[in-house]
Amino acid sequence: MMLLRKIIIGLPVILILLTILAFWNATRLVQNPQNVMMIGMLGEASNLNPILSTDASSFQVSSLIFQALLSVDENMNLIGELAQSWTLRQKTTFFFPDKQTANAAAQSLRDFFAQKNQPAPLFEISSREFFTELQITHDQPGLDLPNQLAEIFQDHLPVTILNFDLKDEGAAWCQRIRENPAFARVVRSFSESKHRLEVAFVGHDFDAKILTSQLLDSLGLALADSKIISEEKLSFLAEPEILFHLREGVCWQDGHPFSADDVLFTYSSIMDDTIASPRKSDFTLIGEITKLSDQELLVRYRRPYSPALNSWRMAIIPAHILKGKSPQWWAENFNRKPIGTGPFRLAEWKTNEYIRLERNPNYWRNPAPWLDAIIFRVLPDPITLRLAFETRQVDFWSVDPWAVKAFLKDNRFDLFRSPTSTYTYVGWNLRKPIFQDIRIRKALAHAVDVSAMIRYLLYGYGSQSNGIFTPQMWFYDPSIQPLEYNPEKARRLLAEAGWMPGPDGILQKDGRRFEFTLITNNANEIRRDAATLLQDNLRKVGISVSIELYEWAVLISRFVHKAEFDAILLGWSLPQDDFDQFQIWHSSQTAPAMLNIIGFESQTVDTLLEKLRSEFDRQKILELASQLQREIYSLQPYLFLFVPEATSVMWRNSYRVCRPLPGGDWLDEPVRMTKAGWTIYLEWFYRPEFSNRLPQSRQVISDASPKNSLTSK
Amino acid sequence: MSQTPIDPHSPWQQMVARFQKDKIGMLAAGFAGFVLIVAVVVGICSCFGLYFPHDPNQTDLERKLLPPNWVNWLGTDNLGRDVLSRILQGAWISLSVGFIAVSVSLLIGVFVGAVSGWVGGWLDNLLMRIVDAIMCFPSFFLILTVVALVGPNIWNIVVVIGLVSWTGTARLVRAEFLTLREMEFVRAARSIGQRGWVIAFRHVLPNAAAPIFVTAVLGVPDAILAEAGLSYLGFGVQPPQATWGNIITDGKVYILDAWWLILFPGVAIFLTALSFYLLGDALRRAADTRAERK
Amino acid sequence: MTAFILRRLSIAVLLLFAISLISFFIVTLTPGSPYPWGELNPKISEDVKRAFREKFHLDEPLHKQYFLIMQDLFSGKLRSIKDERSVLDKIAERLPATLALNAVSLLLSLSFGLLLGIYAARYYGRLPDIATSVLAFAFIALPGFWVSYLVAIGFSHLAGAPVLGLSSFGVVFPSTLSRLLDFFWHIAVPAWVLAIGGIAAQSRFLRATMVEALREDYIRTARAKGLSEQIILFKHALRNSLRPLITGIGLLLPAMVSGSVIVESIFAYPGIGRLGYEAVLERDYPTLVALNFIVAVLVLLGNLVSDILYAIVDPRVRLE
Repeated sequence: MMLLRKIIIGLPVILILLTILAFWNATRLVQNPQNVMMIGMLGEASNLNPILSTDASSFQVSSLIFQALLSVDENMNLIGELAQSWTLRQKTTFFFPDKQTANAAAQSLRDFFAQKNQPAPLFEISSREFFTELQITHDQPGLDLPNQLAEIFQDHLPVTILNFDLKDEGAAWCQRIRENPAFARVVRSFSESKHRLEVAFVGHDFDAKILTSQLLDSLGLALADSKIISEEKLSFLAEPEILFHLREGVCWQDGHPFSADDVLFTYSSIMDDTIASPRKSDFTLIGEITKLSDQELLVRYRRPYSPALNSWRMAIIPAHILKGKSPQWWAENFNRKPIGTGPFRLAEWKTNEYIRLERNPNYWRNPAPWLDAIIFRVLPDPITLRLAFETRQVDFWSVDPWAVKAFLKDNRFDLFRSPTSTYTYVGWNLRKPIFQDIRIRKALAHAVDVSAMIRYLLYGYGSQSNGIFTPQMWFYDPSIQPLEYNPEKARRLLAEAGWMPGPDGILQKDGRRFEFTLITNNANEIRRDAATLLQDNLRKVGISVSIELYEWAVLISRFVHKAEFDAILLGWSLPQDDFDQFQIWHSSQTAPAMLNIIGFESQTVDTLLEKLRSEFDRQKILELASQLQREIYSLQPYLFLFVPEATSVMWRNSYRVCRPLPGGDWLDEPVRMTKAGWTIYLEWFYRPEFSNRLPQSRQVISDASPKNSLTSK
Repeated sequence: MSQTPIDPHSPWQQMVARFQKDKIGMLAAGFAGFVLIVAVVVGICSCFGLYFPHDPNQTDLERKLLPPNWVNWLGTDNLGRDVLSRILQGAWISLSVGFIAVSVSLLIGVFVGAVSGWVGGWLDNLLMRIVDAIMCFPSFFLILTVVALVGPNIWNIVVVIGLVSWTGTARLVRAEFLTLREMEFVRAARSIGQRGWVIAFRHVLPNAAAPIFVTAVLGVPDAILAEAGLSYLGFGVQPPQATWGNIITDGKVYILDAWWLILFPGVAIFLTALSFYLLGDALRRAADTRAERK
Repeated sequence: MTAFILRRLSIAVLLLFAISLISFFIVTLTPGSPYPWGELNPKISEDVKRAFREKFHLDEPLHKQYFLIMQDLFSGKLRSIKDERSVLDKIAERLPATLALNAVSLLLSLSFGLLLGIYAARYYGRLPDIATSVLAFAFIALPGFWVSYLVAIGFSHLAGAPVLGLSSFGVVFPSTLSRLLDFFWHIAVPAWVLAIGGIAAQSRFLRATMVEALREDYIRTARAKGLSEQIILFKHALRNSLRPLITGIGLLLPAMVSGSVIVESIFAYPGIGRLGYEAVLERDYPTLVALNFIVAVLVLLGNLVSDILYAIVDPRVRLE
């Protein structure tokens, strides 16, 4: 029993000694200089399959492993990646009742171009049972030319596009419609999912209802099983096409050659309902993808869709590994052991600890990358992440605005700042009578001191938002003047609307006090503080605001999706190159669980949004986007608050970039901020201690205080 | 047992007498009482819109993140709110959380324990299995999901904390009842024809009061600390209501730049919890009749 | 004995059923759908959300969903909604780290709890007793995340001994011993933080039972026999106080799994607590239900084993 005594006294002593020994050991470990980059992330990547992941961490990691057909350069212009080059053109089809009218139209087409002294585009006339088709192939996608032609063509037949919501079996139906001779008037049938069926009919004398019931009858289904979601009447079909020429000599990381099959497979996987890919909406307007050869691929869209090209920045996944396998098999064997074509490949993944990527020696853009490996460490607490950066356990840190000052003064660090494509706003629920008066919405905007928020919450690292686009976007209109902070004007506007100060200082109208609840999510300090400041500002003009914070999932399901809130403080984080905000602002998107959460409806805005979707011309997009931004800002459905900047710090000169220039020379420069971010050349990053693999002759730009900020000021 | 001296005083008076001799207990009681009085005064004043030294929710961006100074004795936070005022406000709300949560847990715990111990049989078995089931849950997940279910307003959080912490009390009360049930005075009461429930609540419960009281005192700091932990995870009482837990949580990002934001509320929690624990421990010692028999 | 075990097992099965039912209904009734981060994303269409809900049977009636989850759980096919990986795999890969952390923390709290508890009981009512009791309560009274931050900042910043994760990154280990010590260091620091409360609780508990034991008649007899105080303490009093300590360990399990969420987050430790916490936030029903279920199984198993042990150690207890 005295052994027990020895243990009881001895064990704590041993444990203390062991801990002290371990501490001593930890303090004398020395850093081993390795050609490895360390990146810290707050959340772990959940899924490295690029067509499935939704979180930023997964995207950050998988973008180094996988590549897309297209990419952007440092000025955000599209460049080819897995595609060597691409050609854009459009097939526009007009339908005529007979061959004569079609020939006449062909003649007027020739005349039209002869007048302009331009060669006429290629066209083709083909006869069908009830009509004759005139198909024109031209290289300016969009509705411009077709609309002009529609005016000079006479007697052409309209096209009706019906969109059904079916119970099931959309794809099978498509097939049956095509094979059934009774549907000779059907020129296109398409199913983007098993619930959806889109059918295009040609001709005047059609009642959609009758035709639909005929169609369904012949397929042996009752009308009750489906409903028509939309019915469009068009005068022609405009189908843009992209012809991709794929890069030769690209191999997957397991050595298998990359080909058009992989692109086809990626597309069909994204469209597959059993996979439920979040990328699907970018590709639903594709009518058909045809493989012309191993290196050539033709993508045809069902209608002009200008974000189409951008959507091909979607990473490609390998068909030879994944084809014919179930989503479960993917989850077990691919989503955490991905194989891509990118500069790095997965070496090791320790759940919730780190993900280690190593250099892909067979990368087609030889000799990149310079780095041997990149390690992503999971550090879930923002404070410990900062500690890790300061003790040099990670190389970069997305520094929070309040800490920037400390790093700015310290010349051991480089700071990178750039505007984000995110803006923070307060959405007024326009279904509530109180917010339906535009004077009130304007008054609220005048009453809130946004510049103070920027100065004190963002520490100056941000700018006032002037609408739905942010300065980082190429179609952004900087000329729109944001409403100024002017509480006096706010009070006047409120008085005009009939709100007078009551005995307790709170505005009143017809015995009702001006009070509402502002909700936001709880995990975001800046939003929480912005809400507090807003509450303070509005109290000064006599409006009583109460703030409620909810967990994200609860906020969405209990309030946003049910449209049961007064005002909500949130932010939109939008793709930098996507001007399509149909889902957020179109009046058809106001139903519960849709994204026009505030119930905004405006005819003008609807039209602008629709036009913008089918416009390919950069100049016209610029004009339309500017009109849209101005129109929405003038209506003040949101109180547009601010666009924060992204700020990151790096240990000074811990990395440099050595990259090839178009002429064949090499440029060796410090890491710098570009329009596309400062990590765009990540595969050409190198550590100065490990420069032995760099080419001998290179143009060196030494560290002359790099301009690392790209601010709008 | 037989030689217990006949004491002229009731058990409560004995307990108080013993407690008064306990220096640490008295000290702890003094501090806990002080915090309690401050909290209640702050609570009452805030009902009338009176604040000391400043309005805890008044932001002043020109004066943000100031270290302790003559105007703001404990400094200001990132929105320029006075930390001392917020800590005082937090005292009221944190202690309310503690006391109400304990009341909820006592109410359930005493009732379940009493029924279980008094009635016995299959009911006892059933209730104790329920207690077992609840103890099997990782309580934190239970709290998180229930808070997400009912929403993080202060009452819900208080009730939820109370709801997961009654099992210990229930077991304790049951054990007391099991012992007391067989005591002579109960048999005496039965023999004069008193009804079972009257005996249980009029005679047995007061005799079990001391350990229940001790559990209650020890439960207060547990609830305060639980709320602080929940705040860290974003499931605590939501601002603008200040609790000590969410003052620290709100200030935690400034930990390396503004130490006063998390040091002072942390110390407030620490001292208050410590004083309640020591008080509870002293009470337990005082209630322990056998200690004198040494 | 067999009858006892059988009866306990049948009760345990009933309890498990109740627990799985409760945990399933609590998580499914909680507002918010799985995959909440996809909700306000303009890129994710209604169609995709529908396909997603179908894939995980989220539109089925609740009782059917429950049945499907339990069926998958028992056949080992249960998949997380977040990444479609097998839930059992996800739990299994974090189990070793969690067990290591909790084992060290338990070892610390038991060994120090014992020592301090005995010490306090030995000097009952005198200065060492009072000092340890004040110290013990001071430990419990510290908010966990507050201490964690102070410790993490202290070691990382001031002492230059990184404490995040499971090992130091990018360093040269001069020897295997050094590597092992480094591994131990990364477990020991969070374990110490976790053990702070445990040490206090165990020492209080042991002190109480020891004091009780020291008042018993057999101790008086032993003292009268002239046995040394050491022998009385360690041989006689301690033996009787150890039993409740051992049986109490089973009940610590749920707290070990869930109580370490905060410490795991701050020290970037890859344990089960964060898995559960993230599953709550993401409404990953299968993971949550499985986690609660497995913890419950472990607790019930622990209780059973400790009951049996108790009976073996203490001949007075009969299992009936």
